[in-house]
Amino acid sequence: MELPASSAAMETEANGPPPSSAVAPSAAPPKPLFQALKPHEMSDGKIQFRKVPVPPNRFAPLKKNWMEIYTPIYEQMKVDIRMNLKAKRVELKTRHDTPDVSHLQKCADFVNAFMLGFDICDALALLRLDDLYVDSFEIKDVKTLRGEHLSRAIGRLSGKGGKTKFAIENSTRTRIVIADTKIHILGSFVNIKVARDSLCSLILGSPAGKVYSKLRAVSARLAEQY
Amino acid sequence: MGKEALDRLRKTEPAEYLSPSSELSRLARAASSHLYSSLVPFCPTKPPLHQLLSEESFDAEQIWSQIDLLSKPLLPFLRRHLARLEKQSNLHSFLPRPTLKSTATEDGDEEKEEELYSEELELELDDEEEEEKGDEDEENEEEKDEDEEEGEAKGVEDKFLKIKELEKFLEDGEAKEYGLSVQNNKIDLDDKDNESNDDEEDAFDLEDLDGDSEEEVANEMENARYEDFFGRQSNKGAQKKSSSKKVKFDDRPQVKEIEYQESDDENENENDENNLSTHEKESAKLRSTIEEMERANLEPKSWTMIGEVTAGKRPVNSALEVDLDFEHNVKPAPVITEEVTASLEELIKKRIIDGQFDDVQRALTLPTKAPRESKELDESKSKKGLAEIYEEEYAQTAMHATAPISVSDELKKEAEMLFKKICSKLDALSHFHFAPKPVIEDMSIQANVPALAMEEIAPIAVSDAAMLAPEEIFQGKGDIKEERELSRSDRKRRRANKKRRFKTDTVKRAAKKPRPTTDANGKS
Repeated sequence: MELPASSAAMETEANGPPPSSAVAPSAAPPKPLFQALKPHEMSDGKIQFRKVPVPPNRFAPLKKNWMEIYTPIYEQMKVDIRMNLKAKRVELKTRHDTPDVSHLQKCADFVNAFMLGFDICDALALLRLDDLYVDSFEIKDVKTLRGEHLSRAIGRLSGKGGKTKFAIENSTRTRIVIADTKIHILGSFVNIKVARDSLCSLILGSPAGKVYSKLRAVSARLAEQY
Repeated sequence: MGKEALDRLRKTEPAEYLSPSSELSRLARAASSHLYSSLVPFCPTKPPLHQLLSEESFDAEQIWSQIDLLSKPLLPFLRRHLARLEKQSNLHSFLPRPTLKSTATEDGDEEKEEELYSEELELELDDEEEEEKGDEDEENEEEKDEDEEEGEAKGVEDKFLKIKELEKFLEDGEAKEYGLSVQNNKIDLDDKDNESNDDEEDAFDLEDLDGDSEEEVANEMENARYEDFFGRQSNKGAQKKSSSKKVKFDDRPQVKEIEYQESDDENENENDENNLSTHEKESAKLRSTIEEMERANLEPKSWTMIGEVTAGKRPVNSALEVDLDFEHNVKPAPVITEEVTASLEELIKKRIIDGQFDDVQRALTLPTKAPRESKELDESKSKKGLAEIYEEEYAQTAMHATAPISVSDELKKEAEMLFKKICSKLDALSHFHFAPKPVIEDMSIQANVPALAMEEIAPIAVSDAAMLAPEEIFQGKGDIKEERELSRSDRKRRRANKKRRFKTDTVKRAAKKPRPTTDANGKS
């Protein structure tokens, strides 16, 4: 009900003759001009929060890279960020001059990616690009492996000195984090798919060379698109 | 003295000969010496001994050899004499049977005589070579046996049938048969003469006694026919007696028949031919050869004369016996001798020393297309962060800014090109291996236009060669067949492939269709 009232008020302000008078048909009432809603106005002026839990193994890196996390979030995304040590969380809050609602979400994703294990520079891409995602899955989702088989599968995924993982990363323009039995992939949707396929085939047991050949073909195709 | 000895020998009983008796041997020796001396004047050549040395000390063998020495030149002389006499004789009359000493057989039957005759024939047939010796061996024996046999089997014989004569006659007939067949080839037999002179004394006496008439008898025996006995007389005057110097003692019907059976065929033709003129003879010969050839032409030819012969048409293993001449399309295998081996080894050593091995060098296949630029998989951690990568990418696409090629790369490329040029020139100078110019890949778009359109402004002749190669226009593989050329199985295969493809496509399409997915909130 507020709306019609305000519009009516606006109309009375703008137009001299009342709308009821149909004496002057040539003079149409002026269109109303609304200002864009501010973010806090959109959510009724409420402030939104995001809370990102910190796993114990990421405490030290968090502390080390705090300023690199803080600076882009606070300066460029205009989102408040604080570390809650007692609750072992990173908390994010919108300000009144946050330009966009999605910024908060992006910052939250960025921090989350860092918590998963990605590097700051890699996770930064999340802040900059819209269509980057993080996909996670477990080895047991692909194939039930136990004991030594599992260890071997993890070894196969990484390769010697991580070369298989890097090969996949470089050819598909993604970033991969292998955390024990959990695998996280960061990249665009198509690239995530390709990387996931390669990783799954590695888990299922195909040798690295085979995966490489497929990767080569795929990467060539992907490169040709530009 | 000798004649008396002979007479006494004749008179002695045959049984007495079985046991050695000095009296008999003395008589025999005397008889032999008498005979010898009686024959000596007739010998044409000077006989070695005028008297037979027949003392007690001389062996039978020695006496016999002396007799042999005498008889050897004597017999041919006698034969020639006989032949001469035969030519002269023209008489038809049969001679009266001379009385001869006959050999007594144990059985006096006629059948036995024939058997004896046949036996003797067989014997003579078998031992022709040794006949001379055998006959002359018999000489002495028969001299001794003469008197023995004299007394035996008198009952069978009469003045017409003398068994000994019969035997001799049979032998002579046999000999004559052979003599005839040999005479056609103009060879004289010695042994027949010997046979006839079995008992030298007797034979010779006979000859002396009968002479021409016996030859005439021999003539008659040969040339006589049925007509001679039972019909008109045939013209015998012209017929020449071609028998050898055989003495025909007697003619007995059964003997004659047997003899005729054997010698008839041989006698006929010769007697006709003997009186022809030279021209007639030649023409006859010619006719016979013509007949032979015609006969050969009518008969089936031998397998070597037929054109193509398979194995079935010729006898087994007959090709082995014939000298076949055919072309060998294969070089004959080389015979490995020591020299060949030595030469090979020398060649090998020389080659090893020179280091000149005929090694096959791999011929490099030229790349038909430029090698695809394959992206090397970087297996190291990327130095750029993901954000930077995307930043660059964005910059390239959005701003259309070409990636700045570093200076070092350009220099590197230039250096590479120069080096390649120099290398190719040096290679061309240093060895004979042909290395074509390197392919420089140019990125240029080639349109499928006729070649001349690109090359000349005013083409004189229009060619239908396009700029693109046929394989660039059409990229398919295998044997492309038209609809008409397909076989039944090909058609079936095509249809099956089409169905399979359709199936996979439908599955894919079904998969691609947006399936109703549920959101986290449960909204579709």
